[in-house]
Amino acid sequence: MPKKDAPPLQGELLQGTLDLLILQTLVLGTAHGHTIALAIERRSEDVLQVEHGSLYPALHRLEGRGWIASFWGTSENNRKARYYRLTPAGRKELRQQASRWDELVRAINRVLRPASE
Amino acid sequence: MGWTRFFRRRAWDKERARELETYLQMETDENIARGMLAEEARYAARRKLGNPTFIREEIYGMNSIGFLENVWQDLRYAVRVLGKSPGFTLFAVGILALGIAANTAIFSIADAVLLRPLPYRDAGRLVMVWEDGSSYGFPRDTPAPGNFSDWRARNHVFDDMAAFKWDNLNLSDEGSPEHLIGQAVSANLFSVLGVSPFLGRDFRVDHNAPGTAHVAIISHGLWVRRFASDPRILGRQIRLNSDRYTVIGVMPRGFLYPTRDSEIWVAWQLTPEELAIHDSHYLHVVARLKPGVPLRSANADMTTIAKQLEREHPDTNAKVGAYVTPLRDELTGDVRPAILVLTGAVCFVLLIACANIANLLLARATGKRRELAMRLTLGASRSRIVCQMLTESVLLAVLGGSLGLALSVWGTQFLAALVPTGIAPLDESAIDRHVLLFNVAVSIGTGILFGVIPALRISSLNLVSSLKYGGRSGVGSGGQRVRDVLVVSEVALAIVLLAGAALMVRSFANLVRVDPGFRADHVLVLRTPMQMQKYNTQAKRTAFYDQVLERVEHLPGVLAAGYTTWIPLTNEGGATGITIEGHAEPAPGQMPIPNARIVSRNYMKALGMKLVEGRLFDEHDGTGTQLVALINQTMARSFWPGEDLVGKRFKRGTFREDVPWITIVGIVGDVHQAGPAQPARAEMYLPYQQQEFFPPDYLAVRTSGEPLLVAESVRQQVWSVDKQQAVADVMPLEQLVGENLAPKRMQASLLGGFAGLALLLASLGIYAVLSFAVTQRTQEIGDGPFARAEAVSDWRGCWPGGGPGTLANVGTLTVWRQCERSTFVCRRDFGFGRSHAARMLHSGAPSDARRSSGRAPLRINLARDALRERKRYERVAKLFLREFRVTSCSNHQVLLPVGPVGHRRGIRGRRQL
Repeated sequence: MPKKDAPPLQGELLQGTLDLLILQTLVLGTAHGHTIALAIERRSEDVLQVEHGSLYPALHRLEGRGWIASFWGTSENNRKARYYRLTPAGRKELRQQASRWDELVRAINRVLRPASE
Repeated sequence: MGWTRFFRRRAWDKERARELETYLQMETDENIARGMLAEEARYAARRKLGNPTFIREEIYGMNSIGFLENVWQDLRYAVRVLGKSPGFTLFAVGILALGIAANTAIFSIADAVLLRPLPYRDAGRLVMVWEDGSSYGFPRDTPAPGNFSDWRARNHVFDDMAAFKWDNLNLSDEGSPEHLIGQAVSANLFSVLGVSPFLGRDFRVDHNAPGTAHVAIISHGLWVRRFASDPRILGRQIRLNSDRYTVIGVMPRGFLYPTRDSEIWVAWQLTPEELAIHDSHYLHVVARLKPGVPLRSANADMTTIAKQLEREHPDTNAKVGAYVTPLRDELTGDVRPAILVLTGAVCFVLLIACANIANLLLARATGKRRELAMRLTLGASRSRIVCQMLTESVLLAVLGGSLGLALSVWGTQFLAALVPTGIAPLDESAIDRHVLLFNVAVSIGTGILFGVIPALRISSLNLVSSLKYGGRSGVGSGGQRVRDVLVVSEVALAIVLLAGAALMVRSFANLVRVDPGFRADHVLVLRTPMQMQKYNTQAKRTAFYDQVLERVEHLPGVLAAGYTTWIPLTNEGGATGITIEGHAEPAPGQMPIPNARIVSRNYMKALGMKLVEGRLFDEHDGTGTQLVALINQTMARSFWPGEDLVGKRFKRGTFREDVPWITIVGIVGDVHQAGPAQPARAEMYLPYQQQEFFPPDYLAVRTSGEPLLVAESVRQQVWSVDKQQAVADVMPLEQLVGENLAPKRMQASLLGGFAGLALLLASLGIYAVLSFAVTQRTQEIGDGPFARAEAVSDWRGCWPGGGPGTLANVGTLTVWRQCERSTFVCRRDFGFGRSHAARMLHSGAPSDARRSSGRAPLRINLARDALRERKRYERVAKLFLREFRVTSCSNHQVLLPVGPVGHRRGIRGRRQL
């Protein structure tokens, strides 16, 4: 677990990682862009600072692949907002990507700390 | 990404804009909740989101097919840009259309003649076989039947060999008698070529046997024309000469062997005696190589057989070789090098056009520097700008190409004569697929070729200086150098072309100047193919000729008429061996073989040949009198060198043959039987009453007026002698001569035309570069020439580095003319010269000029005497405004916009004043 005062990993997100994060956020239920951005930030304890702007092209891409779907709804403070939800295909994709991610992390850890295991 | 999204991407974009707006509002709300001021909260939200336009652009980009989108955008932009400068566009499209049209037209010929496969099965294996009779003056001789049958029996390299001879076929059953171009062929000719009849069947081997029924196969054209495409033609009897032939087949449309004009092929009944003749050479032999046998082996095999035959028949075959040539080479003949030369020429023309347009584009691009610099600064990628400029140039080229295609369709008809008769003619009604492809490829390639240099140059411009100085520096002298290189190449290419064209025109002029040995004007030529079955004795034939000549010579408007075996330009050969009285028996292969022409008494007169020595034939040279001959100068020189000739005798045939002697009565001038390019052979003329081993066919009629005017009455006179006699090839002799020279004339004029076009384009190129350079340096020049009476050196400054030798001169000349023009304007309009004007304007200039080396405007005080002539001055001022872009002008001062003035000679020049 990185320390609190470590510099945020802004701009260093691995390619495809943002997709994973968005899909994971949507597992909990529908959300609009603003919520997703905040959720990612908060749940990573501010380490992963997503540039909020880059979220929207990613959402668009995911929707294009059929992993999420969108609809217009009304937000908690009564504003028209575009909501996103996970599709079954997205759920399946999330499982696959998550397990690939775990593998990757394990592999990197094995390389970095071979002795401590 | 689906297509629906591509088409709905605007709606999508709107939606995204709304979504982003929602985000901003929410974030702002939150920020306010955190205690920020409304304004600050909004800014913070924006910071957090990033640039919404970028985001939208990114999503928009995901919805579109990037490349297509860009191309479409560039294309619309290019159309707008080109539409805005219609002058440039028209000029460029015009130049390109000319260049591409020339290329397309020549390509369509090259495609038809050199590239398109011949319409025969596996045509690469087809060859023609010739006798090599170089030692007799016939390096490419038509084989003798005996040699053909021996070659066929002994070779190891051919699948099969076929032979044919040209035949006189007089079709005379229904309608008027008609002379057909046809061949007597060996039965296997079509199978060797690999073409089967379209209707009916091919010849069988037994059709060649003597004494069997005569059979014929007709061409598709003849079937349609003469027999109205009647399918019952098969088995029908037609009358050819005096024999009946059964039509057994119709060849497919487009079959054109040996030439386009061939209309009928008859099975040739070869007697064993004929197949043993080794000393009469009149066959054409076509053969199919066995698969995988190279030409070299075929030649080796033929040489071996020729050597064997030489041993076996020393009398006839001494020094007679044999060799093969590919059929395509035979069919294309000497058109091939001509087409290659022309292809090179049109490539040059197109390259020059490219350099021209590249130059113009460079000049225009320099004008657009500011705009482009701005776009680059705003974040346009260089590749995007290069793409956009290339789109513009490719659009230009494609426009030019389409126009060029239309032009080439029109131009190709003039080139159609370049296609030899053994090759399928150009289909003028349709644009060939190959030609279309070629046109499109050349257009696009051209567009990229001339577009790439300006595009690369401009995209690498120096942003700061371009923005700062706008129209003045930036691309700078580097761009000038590129333009110089382009112009130098243009001129170099044009000069190469000009030199080539000059050579060709020169050699053509030499050809025309050769004395052909006869006068072609006022001579009508026609052919009455002798019907040998009908006129089967010499007496009958002599009577026929006598009667025809008698009647024709008495026609009004006819000065003389004469029969001959072959009119000049129709047969370079027609030779026979002779033995000279008093000479020892020649070694094998050393027998003199002059050309022989069997003629009527007035033939020399009709043709306008010159008598050099002795006398022409007269009425005493006839049947039963002394055998006489006229010989040409070459024959006299070669066989009786330095001897007094008249009265000398020779005989036809070998030393031992017992035939009567023929006495030489005169010597006539050489006639170039094969055209002016070929030297005349030894030749003798014999009266038809005495000798007629080659029965005369051609009638030459010298007329007092237009030769074609008597054509009809001559024809009627022939028919009044024999109404079944075909009359063919009626034309003025001049036409025959013209046709003989036509290919060379065409090549020379085409090459000349292309060279002219190249020169024109190159001059335009120079003009464009100079006028551009002049515009660019207007302010320097504005100082220079008006400061000094001697303007040239200053104008020369437009040409950095002076340019290479000749070019510099050309450049200087053009520039000088430009100077002169403006001087003349002064002089003509205002009655004073440039130096006068300069003095008027510059009396106070030197000190100002020295100060003005920076960017301050140059003020030139006007002399007092100019003020006195105020009206005059105003006109001068207006002129300056127009010619030198003077920014403003008052009664006292002319304000010149000064850029980096002061380098080069402007300032120094002023000091001298």
